[in-house]
Amino acid sequence: MDDHLVGVLSNIGMISFIALSAYLLLIVGEISFGQQAFFAISAYASGIATAMWGWDFWPGLAWGTAVAAAAAVLVGIPTLRIRGLYFSIATLAFAEMVRLVFEVFKYQVEIDGEMVGPDGSDGFRDIRYIFENDITAVEYMLMIYGLLAAVLCAFFLLERSRLGSIFRMIGQDPVLAEMQGIDVTAYKILALGLAGLVAGIGGGLYAHLTTFVEPKIFNVMLGVHSLAYGLIGGLGTAFGPLIGVAIDIGFLESIRAISGYRMIAFGGLVAVLLIFRPRGLLDEAAVNWIRLRLRRRHA
Amino acid sequence: MVDFVQNCFDGVMLGSSYALLAIGFTLIFGVMRRLNLSYGPSIMLGAFVGTLVFLEFRAGGLAVAAATVLGAVLVGIYVERLCFWAIRQGAAVASMVSSFAIWMQLEEIVTIAFPDRTYPFPPLTRAQPMDFGPFFFKVENLVMFGCAVALTLGLHLLLYRTRFGLRLRAVAESPDAARYMGINIAAVTFLAFACASAIGGVAGYLIVAQDGQITPLFGLWATFKGLIAMMLGGMGSIPGAILGGLLLGIVEAQSIWYLGTEFRDLCAYALLFLFLVFRPGGLFGHALAERERLALRRV
Repeated sequence: MDDHLVGVLSNIGMISFIALSAYLLLIVGEISFGQQAFFAISAYASGIATAMWGWDFWPGLAWGTAVAAAAAVLVGIPTLRIRGLYFSIATLAFAEMVRLVFEVFKYQVEIDGEMVGPDGSDGFRDIRYIFENDITAVEYMLMIYGLLAAVLCAFFLLERSRLGSIFRMIGQDPVLAEMQGIDVTAYKILALGLAGLVAGIGGGLYAHLTTFVEPKIFNVMLGVHSLAYGLIGGLGTAFGPLIGVAIDIGFLESIRAISGYRMIAFGGLVAVLLIFRPRGLLDEAAVNWIRLRLRRRHA
Repeated sequence: MVDFVQNCFDGVMLGSSYALLAIGFTLIFGVMRRLNLSYGPSIMLGAFVGTLVFLEFRAGGLAVAAATVLGAVLVGIYVERLCFWAIRQGAAVASMVSSFAIWMQLEEIVTIAFPDRTYPFPPLTRAQPMDFGPFFFKVENLVMFGCAVALTLGLHLLLYRTRFGLRLRAVAESPDAARYMGINIAAVTFLAFACASAIGGVAGYLIVAQDGQITPLFGLWATFKGLIAMMLGGMGSIPGAILGGLLLGIVEAQSIWYLGTEFRDLCAYALLFLFLVFRPGGLFGHALAERERLALRRV
């Protein structure tokens, strides 16, 4: 495979994690502008583990993911008592705080005569694990997609489980859910924790692929994009956000002739879609329709 | 102590520009109960229209100001039609996301149309800073503060002394009741949006003229500062917007002095986050009361 294609596919895979993370919160009826914070936390934490503490890749990734999930739960406890617009703005404020903390965060150790580690706004260089261990770009891409497949499986299991129905119910009508004896706030915190975990996997993978992270990548535009993917693709199924990512990165960014106008096309597309299909292309109704058709064919 | 007091004065001056931005923001929110995140970018586009008039025709301050306000109003109308009018009542979150998408579009249009990063903008005055004992003030800041006060008074008269203001308040109080009284809600919200955009245009002109230059980043800055100031004061409250802006300005001025410039935005977001968690209604808002009212309406 040629390098450009592998690069684009790896990108689609990694961004899919953060899109899925925003999608999970959309299902419980909350809009988060701040999923990039968990992506960033995991990128830094797992990079520190492999590049500075000499950990292996998998424990490093697991550590980064765990830190991101823990951060998400900690943020969820105070912020999920407030809802709607207020929660969205609180996540935005939190994510910007995380980014600005990384702008001043310095933690370096000397390895082989060179200083390695996050250096404030200059970023975090030399997260070289996959190069030092001779993992090729194609192999790494397969690792990304293996993890993505695992996360997708988890999402489909979730949709069929009791937890999934509770999430959907809270998203449809939190007052009604509360009347059924469901602790809405606790389930929303759980959803945010899981979303932090999913974003964390993507962040760890991202840091090791690019070998260099800097705070300004994790700005609010990344968060808004990940949110928009779910809203374009549809909130009916976990494939929805993936379709959104494929449209944006696979189509708009990768075709050079239109990539200069990407934001104009993408922004307009989101705005128009929100008018005509407020819950995306593959919304719940569309998914049910497809499911019925498939069932009839099998019968 | 002299430092602290001088910082407070600086903060009030800085804060009056935030207050100006927050007034337009809060007017839209007060009438529509929706958040227009494209507010800053539409002001930014207006300021670029102003700079174009300045560069092409060597126009004076007044013509540039008029062009800025006109540009901001036209872009504001575009945003209103696409993100607010076209999206059905009640879908506040869809409007918010849609306005974020349009934000990206507007920013991209400006970066393509104006490829250099910074453009000159005619300054407001060339007067020297004034001294009062141990303290000093910039003339532009005093003008800005005066404009903030004048605009607030004007808006107060418009809201409480005219028939249009009465209609506007009726729509803000209860859209359904207003409709039964024969008020054309779409027309009222449209005019309120145009008013807010004009106020935004004035604010934008004053701020950009003080800086003497404009970059596409101004949109992000204006939205965030206006948003934080509005949330601190309480969404939908005009006195709240003024006080919120001043509070934000003072906190920023103190943090620049005592902690350093890199902590300025961090402190602003931390303040916002704390307010959202402990007092989501802001200084003058009624977040909890509003939630209860919505719950009651559902029953």
